[in-house]
Amino acid sequence: MSSRLNVKVGSVDLKSPVILASGTCNFGRELSEYYDLSVLGGLSSKGLTIKPRAGNEGCRVAECDSGMLNSVGLQNPGVDYFIEHELDYMRSLNTGVIVNVAGHSFDDYCGMVRKLDPFKEKIDVLEINLSCPNVKEGCMSIGSSPEQVKKIVSALRDLTTLPLWIKLTPNVSDITAPALAAQEGGADAIVLINTLLGMRINIKTRRPVVQNNTGGYSGPAVKPVAIRMVSECSRVLDIPIVGCGGIETAEDVVEFMIAGASAVEVGTASLIHPDAGLRITEGLERYCEDNKIENISSLTGTLELW
Amino acid sequence: MSNKQEYKAEIVSKDYLNEDTLFFELKCPEIADAAIPGQFVNISCSKFLKRPFGIASANKEDGTISIGVKIIGEGTKNLSEIEIGEIVDILGPLGNGFDLDSFDSYILAGGGTGVFPLNFAYDTLSLMGKNVTTVFGFRDRSQVIMEKEGHIITTDAGDYGIKGNVLAGLDSLSISGNPCILVVGPTPMMKGVGEWARSHSLKCFVSTEQHMACGVGICLVCVCKIRSEDPNEEYKHVRCCKDGPVFDYEEVIL
Ligand SMILES: Cc1cc2nc3c(=O)[nH]c(=O)nc-3n(C[C@H](O)[C@H](O)[C@H](O)COP(=O)(O)OP(=O)(O)OC[C@H]3O[C@@H](n4cnc5c(N)ncnc54)[C@H](O)[C@@H]3O)c2cc1C
Ligand SMILES: Cc1cc2nc3c(=O)[nH]c(=O)nc-3n(C[C@H](O)[C@H](O)[C@H](O)COP(=O)(O)O)c2cc1C
Ligand code: FES
Repeated sequence: MSSRLNVKVGSVDLKSPVILASGTCNFGRELSEYYDLSVLGGLSSKGLTIKPRAGNEGCRVAECDSGMLNSVGLQNPGVDYFIEHELDYMRSLNTGVIVNVAGHSFDDYCGMVRKLDPFKEKIDVLEINLSCPNVKEGCMSIGSSPEQVKKIVSALRDLTTLPLWIKLTPNVSDITAPALAAQEGGADAIVLINTLLGMRINIKTRRPVVQNNTGGYSGPAVKPVAIRMVSECSRVLDIPIVGCGGIETAEDVVEFMIAGASAVEVGTASLIHPDAGLRITEGLERYCEDNKIENISSLTGTLELW
Repeated sequence: MSNKQEYKAEIVSKDYLNEDTLFFELKCPEIADAAIPGQFVNISCSKFLKRPFGIASANKEDGTISIGVKIIGEGTKNLSEIEIGEIVDILGPLGNGFDLDSFDSYILAGGGTGVFPLNFAYDTLSLMGKNVTTVFGFRDRSQVIMEKEGHIITTDAGDYGIKGNVLAGLDSLSISGNPCILVVGPTPMMKGVGEWARSHSLKCFVSTEQHMACGVGICLVCVCKIRSEDPNEEYKHVRCCKDGPVFDYEEVIL
């Protein structure tokens, strides 16, 4: 891949703006059977918690017209296992290592960052997931309160020098409020968006399709919501934005960057085509060539509103 | 090593086995070459997610595989409307597959769409020269599919083969040696056969089905429960698509 795709998200240098989103690439092992992940800007680990989590019971997926609901419920092997068994593997992929940190409480998040900070040589970014809709406490409820966002981010800021990207939930009425709160707390970047809370019903049984009743909506259907939020935040924030939500093609990435994203995350697309990250990266190369773009980051925030 | 890909497969034949079950042959040499019995493919045939189907046979010379499809909803209905010559996006072979090496003789017990992956196991074991007995159970004569010479067929209605379910078929066998039981079918049937195997002190493997998205192990929506070695946890979640779909009956919690 050429240097045309090199981007910076604050102090973090990435080979490409294309990052695989948390929960849609596990720790990279499975997708590396499909393509060489070193073409990517980075890989965000499955959301990790301080203790292992078995995740939700029963059916965890519902197909939708242009996307899906998931209610995995943060199943993960726990941060200690990750450090011991997965971190070196992720580092060996020769791409940005982004560790997705989830929790149920203020103390959980602090505990996680304390455990991860000693491994800062192997980690490029801590992505603080204040947005998972599939667990009963913490996560999304923290992310929808600007006061709590600021409190957590400032506490984490004191615990580590690693770049902190704060991943926010779209399930709020004004996305700029938690985004500004994260910036005030000392975030290095904002990641927008996590999944939208949704429900599907089996009309034969009159029961929700997923056993958790609700699930997180992702895929192309959520893209317009994500782009709107990136654009709104980019007008009020000084820190960079990583866009995410429904990206399937290079043109989608371009759209997010024009809206204000410095880099992007690709999630559900990899569940449909395992090599989605590669296809999108190759498409971006072609886009730059066809449009004589020397560096893709020249697109960021070039949106002109009517 | 990155060598796996998503393929485009041409439908080369399509037949109705009964009113709601079809049998397709697809041209996909890479999958035909790599497939082992018990593995599955994930096929695009719906509005968003792919659909998993057990591989029913593989022909390396022709570069074809086959699948059997029972129409149950939108995706399988769409698939039934695909015509010969059309192309589908396909991922595979996926999953772990059966262990056909560790035993000298096998008993295959199947019902529902479970007969499809077992057909592939039957073909392969026969080629390997292993001793294989097949028992397939159906509701009635009109439902009997994938019958080959020597297969023991049971019907609930008793209008064909042995009257009763698959267990009646198994009870009719005189077991010698230590055959391994492979069972694929509805959960109650797999439990029944699993208990039967346990009571005969025979090893038994089942093939599970869960709702899937990626099929390749990255999304964790398709989990099954297995017994945990850790005394502090009741069970462990493992991925049906990647760690399975085949599990030891003594290990999986059905
Ligand atoms: C490993 C594996 C092997 C399979 N092998 C076969 C086979 O050889 N032949 C065959 O006919 N069927 C097989 N199935 C079941 C087949 O995948 C489902 O019947 C099919 O997904 C139904 O899709 P639909 O859109 O028609 O049904 P809908 O009910 O409309 O589907 C809605 C959603 O539920 C999912 N779903 C519904 N039933 C099942 C099920 N039993 N298992 C998994 N997901 C389901 C669908 O994938 C879809 O996401 C297998 C399933 C698995 C997991
Ligand atoms: C199956 C699944 C699991 C996910 N798990 C996580 C997770 O553990 N942590 C997280 O921050 N986001 C998680 N997400 C959200 C994605 O990272 C992403 O923000 C969201 O799906 C929107 O992007 P997309 O439309 O490209 O998928 C998950 C999404 C899916 C579909
Ligand atoms: S279907 Fe995605 S992990 Fe099994």
